[in-house]
Amino acid sequence: MSWETVIGLEIHVQLNTNSKIFSGASTSYGSEQNTNTSLVDLGYPGVLPVLNKDAVMMAIKFGLAIDAEISRRSIFARKNYFYPDLPKGYQISQYELPIVQGGSLEIKLNDGTKKVIGITRAHLEEDAGKSIHDKFNNETAIDLNRAGTPLLEIVSEPDIRSAEEASSYMQQIHQLVRYLKISDGNMQEGSFRCDANVSVRPSGQAEFGTRAEVKNINSFRFVENAINYEVERQIERLENGNEIIQETRLYDPDKDETRPMRSKEEANDYRYFPDPDLLPLEIDQETIDKIKNLLPELFEEKVIRYTEDLKIKPNDAEEIAKNMQIAEYFEATLDHFDNDPQLVTNWILSEVIGVLNRENIEINAFQIEPTQLASLLSRIEDNTISSKIAKNLFNQLLTSDETVDQMIKQQGLEQITDEGSINEYVAEVLNEFSDQKDQYLAGKEQVLGFLVGQVMKRTQGKANPKMVNELIINQIKK
Amino acid sequence: MSIKKSDIEHLCNLSKLNLDEEEKSLFLNQMKSILEMIQELEEVDTGDIVPMAHPLQMSQRLREDEITESNERNKYQKNTDSAEDGFYKVPKVID
Amino acid sequence: MKRHTVKELQNMLADQSISSEEIHQIYLNRIKSMNDSINAFISIESDEISLSSEQKNSEIKGIPYALKDIFCSEGDKTTCGSKMLANFVSPYDATVVRNLREKGTVILGKTNMDEFAMGSSNETSFYGNVLNPWDEERTPGGSSGGSAAAVAAGMAPIALGTDTGGSIRQPAALTGITGLKPTYGRCSRFGMIAFASSLDQAGILSISAEDAAIFLEHMAGYDQKDSTSSIEEVPKYTEFLNNDLTGKVVGLPREFFDGSLDSKYQTLVTESIHEYEKMGVQFKDISLPNIKYSVPTYYVVAPAECSSNLARYDGVRFGHRSSEGTDLDSFYKQTRKEGFGPEVKRRIITGTYVLSAGYYDAYYLKAQKVRQLINQDFLNAFEEVDVIMGPTTQQSAFKLGDKLDDPVSMYMNDIYTISSNLSGVPAISHPIGFVDNLPFGLQVIAPHFMEHDLLNIVHQYQMSTDWHLQTPNLCREFD
Ligand SMILES: [Mg+2]
Ligand SMILES: [Zn+2]
Repeated sequence: MSWETVIGLEIHVQLNTNSKIFSGASTSYGSEQNTNTSLVDLGYPGVLPVLNKDAVMMAIKFGLAIDAEISRRSIFARKNYFYPDLPKGYQISQYELPIVQGGSLEIKLNDGTKKVIGITRAHLEEDAGKSIHDKFNNETAIDLNRAGTPLLEIVSEPDIRSAEEASSYMQQIHQLVRYLKISDGNMQEGSFRCDANVSVRPSGQAEFGTRAEVKNINSFRFVENAINYEVERQIERLENGNEIIQETRLYDPDKDETRPMRSKEEANDYRYFPDPDLLPLEIDQETIDKIKNLLPELFEEKVIRYTEDLKIKPNDAEEIAKNMQIAEYFEATLDHFDNDPQLVTNWILSEVIGVLNRENIEINAFQIEPTQLASLLSRIEDNTISSKIAKNLFNQLLTSDETVDQMIKQQGLEQITDEGSINEYVAEVLNEFSDQKDQYLAGKEQVLGFLVGQVMKRTQGKANPKMVNELIINQIKK
Repeated sequence: MSIKKSDIEHLCNLSKLNLDEEEKSLFLNQMKSILEMIQELEEVDTGDIVPMAHPLQMSQRLREDEITESNERNKYQKNTDSAEDGFYKVPKVID
Repeated sequence: MKRHTVKELQNMLADQSISSEEIHQIYLNRIKSMNDSINAFISIESDEISLSSEQKNSEIKGIPYALKDIFCSEGDKTTCGSKMLANFVSPYDATVVRNLREKGTVILGKTNMDEFAMGSSNETSFYGNVLNPWDEERTPGGSSGGSAAAVAAGMAPIALGTDTGGSIRQPAALTGITGLKPTYGRCSRFGMIAFASSLDQAGILSISAEDAAIFLEHMAGYDQKDSTSSIEEVPKYTEFLNNDLTGKVVGLPREFFDGSLDSKYQTLVTESIHEYEKMGVQFKDISLPNIKYSVPTYYVVAPAECSSNLARYDGVRFGHRSSEGTDLDSFYKQTRKEGFGPEVKRRIITGTYVLSAGYYDAYYLKAQKVRQLINQDFLNAFEEVDVIMGPTTQQSAFKLGDKLDDPVSMYMNDIYTISSNLSGVPAISHPIGFVDNLPFGLQVIAPHFMEHDLLNIVHQYQMSTDWHLQTPNLCREFD
């Protein structure tokens, strides 16, 4: 029998607000345990939640970017369950009326085909704290710093049909939230996490099979692995005549397997009801329009503009636009040097990204300011320096505070473009290497490179190589 | 919709309460009369009535995204004697 | 000294016949000598009072008050009448407490109450029941029974309480004092330990409506820490007290006068209506057709909200923590078994039931719809009348233990008061006479944010009668 896989993803994105969704405590990552916990985050008796404006604006931004409907009225509900990292005994979330409803995202697969994935809803909710099981012998340690961090939970339709599609969808959502600057998307820190609802059904069958919810997926690779494992497990069970149990499973990246979660064994009845401490959230058209006008140019639009207006090679354009921070760096460089966008692209894709990879840093930690890269490239373009010298300067810029122009001046690196003086060097070289000159005349054109190299050596690389080329040929043929 | 002892036990599980056998049967009887009273609501025609969650017709006000709270861990942990090393503690949890 | 109103204390402070320190000491002495028998206070704040200079020179500066132990006050034990919070010391002030503190008032102590405000007789308190100063075999009502008894017995000139289904008005009626439940959202709920969030409201138990007006002005107002608090401006309530009542139209709902009230109480109500007629008030029969569903509606909504509000008491960050339970589940269950009393447990279970899968629509959603109908009844009535009047309770103070085993009959106690909480409208109870030496109260209900009307009406009544000035016998010992 052939099987079809059906997947829906729930992605939890931490929104990068300064303060928590319902309290004024900091959301900063990595603080000492329980130091970013206000009375509200601790669920103290008597305290009440007050909603963070920016979290709402970020949710709207996301909704507009996926062409969803922004609910003019949405409701916060309580999801009731006991767990030590959930201080109030309920999570404030949205249930019946979420802030974002019905949108879609086009994903691109490895073979170049495109597919639209429906997004059912995206809702605001609070994150839970963290349980640490290996800190004490017989007890679990609870750190509530993360409790109350704003989350946007993005729920897809069950439109995903393979692990590859799931991974591509997850990557695209990741790229989108970073583009929108609503999340840092840091997966190691848990800012971007995913649960996968996975089921299989015989090909051609209309109704869905029983699904398992796989939790704790925090990388693009893991989402593929977890789904592949789960699909295989389910098919094997079904082919052996067993049923699939609807359950919550945990993905264990070390063992690369999923297993049932013990703490979620008993069927949960969350008893959702509207949170009486929060009022209906009403959003007017004016707010929506304002946010719409502030939406940044997104990936697809950027690629089109880069290729059509800036005439950048399509692959390069995608490569630059893939990471919004790099695209921003690229555009900032263009602000100061717009004569040759492809030259800027080449330098960023090879030299700049080379450094980032080598030093394992993000572009915002990169040492060279876009203005300096721009002036370096304009000095190449106006023939002040050669590309070779430029690369040398680029390396110096990584550790120096001096500007490109200061360096050129101080190190006397201006390119020699004066025909007279280059001719003198050429004459010298031809004199010394008359053998090579004869070989050239005899038709062995490869020696030209050697002769050019000799001239460059004598000028410490400062002679304009193109002129050297021409002048050597001129003199030989004279 | 008559309530049974097993329902009480299920509700205790959801709400994390231990009850003695005695309490269970007492509550079962009391719950029966409470539910009987509540069931009076069935006779009300509520056709297209909008459910009322709040007494006032207001909408949610929003807070500026500002950090207003500082670290008060020591003060707040005075209400428990089971905190250690800044952590709260519970019996070992196995996922 | 028998009892003094806030107004009298203000006058004494103004003409310097007494100092605020002396006032404070007199009340503390009185609490110390009476509390053993009345049990109105769970804790007494006997610290030296320091009226710091930063406190504004307000008209209530130096006035002491009793605070229901449901309000968090910084550095004070705040138990909510429960074993669960027996050792809980609040690290912060409730907004209403802060508001009053900034005006220079002094907390005398934290008053006894039904556990988590769940009860109508003060018998569910972990700290023992409160006795009614009029008859020590009887309940002062609940859940603000300690606050009511303290004011009635002159242990405090005024007290704060909370009212979720009648918890200020019913004990006020049963102890012969004035009890005001303001509009939902008029006073901040921040720092008031939640029972049922969409019904809870802070209010005042006082000797007179005038005193309530004086205090409410300083307590009330928008609080950015409470999303459900109202931005409606707070009027100067005292400026409305002397308005003429001529032409006021009062509705008498036929559902409150359906013959179920015992004739000895009905007589008092009728007499008070005559008194109001003398002041130029007109009466009109009205109907609140859905009001009979108030009790069942309330006993769905309130337990549902409480089952969720009380989930935070898990023994981890504060409150009682069981030493039993080796795994998480048994630790939770044992902690909550030990920390909560039977009434609280029963309501948690009821609330869990009405919210659980399969019952939500039939119970919770249905109750929310009926709540809307009850609210509509009030809105319709207030098209025709300025305020509504009726008895506060069906009977005067009942004997301790009388209704303890029968929750439904206990719940019926709140039959006249619950509907104002469901609709959020303000209501006040004031004493209108005695039956067998036990006080009885009349309730006045107004549209949202019309507290000034209620206070005006009751103040006018209290200017021409002296029921509110009657004191229980045990007060006279102090003459
Ligand atoms: Mg989910
Ligand atoms: Zn979620």
